[in-house]
Amino acid sequence: MAILPYIYLGYMFISLYFFFFYVILYHRNKKNLYATPEITKNYEVSVMIPVWNEEKTIVGTVESLIKSTEGYPIKEIIIINDNSTDKTSEIINRLEKKYPIITVINNEKNLGKAGALNRAIGITKTELVAVIDSQSFLEKDSIKNLIGFFDEEKVGVASAKILVRKKDNFLEKLQALEYAVIAFTRKMLGFIDCIYVTPGPLAIYRRKVLLEVGGFDKKNMTEDIEMTWRVISKGYQVRMNLDSHVETVAPNKIKDWWRQRNRWNMGGLQCLIKYRKTIFNKNYNMLGLFIVPYFALTLFLGLFGMGIFVYLITRNILSSVLYTKYTIAAGSSLLTLNDFYFTATVLNFLGIALFLASTIFTIIGLRTIRPAGVKIYSPPIMGAYLLVYLTIYPVILINSIIRIIRGDLRWR
Amino acid sequence: MVNNQKRVFWEALILSVFVFGVGVALGFFIESWRGEEITNMYTSSEVAFLDVRLQSEIYGKEITKCDYAVEQNANFGDRIYEEAKILDRYEGAQRLSNGLITQHKKYDLLRVSFWLNSMKIREECNSSYHTVIYFYKYNNPSIEEKAKQSVISNILAETKEELGHKIMLIPIAGDLNVSSIELMKNNYGIKELPSVLIDEKIVVDEKTSKEELIKILN
Repeated sequence: MAILPYIYLGYMFISLYFFFFYVILYHRNKKNLYATPEITKNYEVSVMIPVWNEEKTIVGTVESLIKSTEGYPIKEIIIINDNSTDKTSEIINRLEKKYPIITVINNEKNLGKAGALNRAIGITKTELVAVIDSQSFLEKDSIKNLIGFFDEEKVGVASAKILVRKKDNFLEKLQALEYAVIAFTRKMLGFIDCIYVTPGPLAIYRRKVLLEVGGFDKKNMTEDIEMTWRVISKGYQVRMNLDSHVETVAPNKIKDWWRQRNRWNMGGLQCLIKYRKTIFNKNYNMLGLFIVPYFALTLFLGLFGMGIFVYLITRNILSSVLYTKYTIAAGSSLLTLNDFYFTATVLNFLGIALFLASTIFTIIGLRTIRPAGVKIYSPPIMGAYLLVYLTIYPVILINSIIRIIRGDLRWR
Repeated sequence: MVNNQKRVFWEALILSVFVFGVGVALGFFIESWRGEEITNMYTSSEVAFLDVRLQSEIYGKEITKCDYAVEQNANFGDRIYEEAKILDRYEGAQRLSNGLITQHKKYDLLRVSFWLNSMKIREECNSSYHTVIYFYKYNNPSIEEKAKQSVISNILAETKEELGHKIMLIPIAGDLNVSSIELMKNNYGIKELPSVLIDEKIVVDEKTSKEELIKILN
């Protein structure tokens, strides 16, 4: 009996499971999605911004931060200049003069983002430490709306909803949609203590937790994922507030997008290798019981699915080549009316049902997150996102695995 | 609060098992409905064939009535050829069960009976039509064999369209281990699949063009 229909069924079952998983979580918590915890205690907050050649965005980032924190003043802003070679140094020195709460630290050599942050952690003295990327633009009260989470002793880190700032070209629009769906799924996972990343654009850490876990991992390409996993593995919890809103600049060229996604994948793979022993180990809480197995399953399904896809494509190409060769040799027609027919099967029905489920899930996510400038019901964007954009991911994954094996861990 | 939320793992599992189960059951239902449709088609064809055979028995010796018997036989040939295409499409779709193989064997046996009947009528009525028997590989054909079979199928379909009742086109699976088919293959020297046997004398393969085939048949 042919095995392929059963493999398709396996994929369909897993997809169906996660569809219901997210829908149930959404249904159960839809009234609390935007709930912001009350601030009962005055926490002092330092903000660290690592920069490397960010002359175009750093002013906007700092000014949005200062404006955003008017309702909850922060103690200090530490900008770590990681040996920039453009006009970043000049710009941040001007900012330091303009805003007294800014302190600039210059690295003699490039330490990488994790290294730069680790250097700054030693300087901070506040109970909470926020990390923001130099391409982040904070909306009003983004930091304030995360502070209340820290009343719970077990909370080690809190993060925001990250959305795409510029949506001028098609690639940026697709990423705007993707970021909104990611924010939605992270929020859902938050209800079961399974937030797998506190992204770089804004995360607030309890300083003592950062020190306890030994700071950021300089070898990891996604220090934010790695830090989140380490914090959870030490028994701390992660929170997220959809009412804390940060925008980031997404790549607007395929080449840059490809590089960024490779970095994300490679960082994820590094984390998976590092934390492989936590799989199904209760001692590591939801990290071992869900997050790492979920990552591993996604990786396996992506690679295995890609393998099947390549096999089918190769078979079809070979088959077409041979068919064309024999048809030409026999002087027959390449296409006949008999070649055009469709016989519906249960796999077709389940496939359509799953496509509808993915569309519904995406729409629920977009309606919840409400990203500005994204047309939720635009068929070209939605179609391109579901049918093309998401299906490219396994290709990037394969490239990332090859780079990991070759030890090519370049960031840029 | 969070512990209460964690029952989502089981709830999602129960829901997906239920929905998936309904989907798969629906799939088996569709397949069994198709199997039933083919059984009905087969039964109806079997009755029609018996009718054709009896007619040829009754009229065969009276030359004046031969035309009618030949016509009826050709019509039946068209019918089982069309049904073979439907069966092929059903079998080409991704399936969950193997239920159609038995139906296929029954159809192949019916086609062999039709072939024998066609030979008999041609001889008794001294008719000029040709029998074109297409032996193909049913079980796991390789990519190359599939390509060859597709080309032969197209050429035969085009030839049939052009020559109409001048040929009795009978596709038969040649690897289903049916004794009578094996016997016929041995009788006419069919050693490789796919192969096309014309008038129980000439064997051609995928390299034969439509024009060459029509030349042979004319």
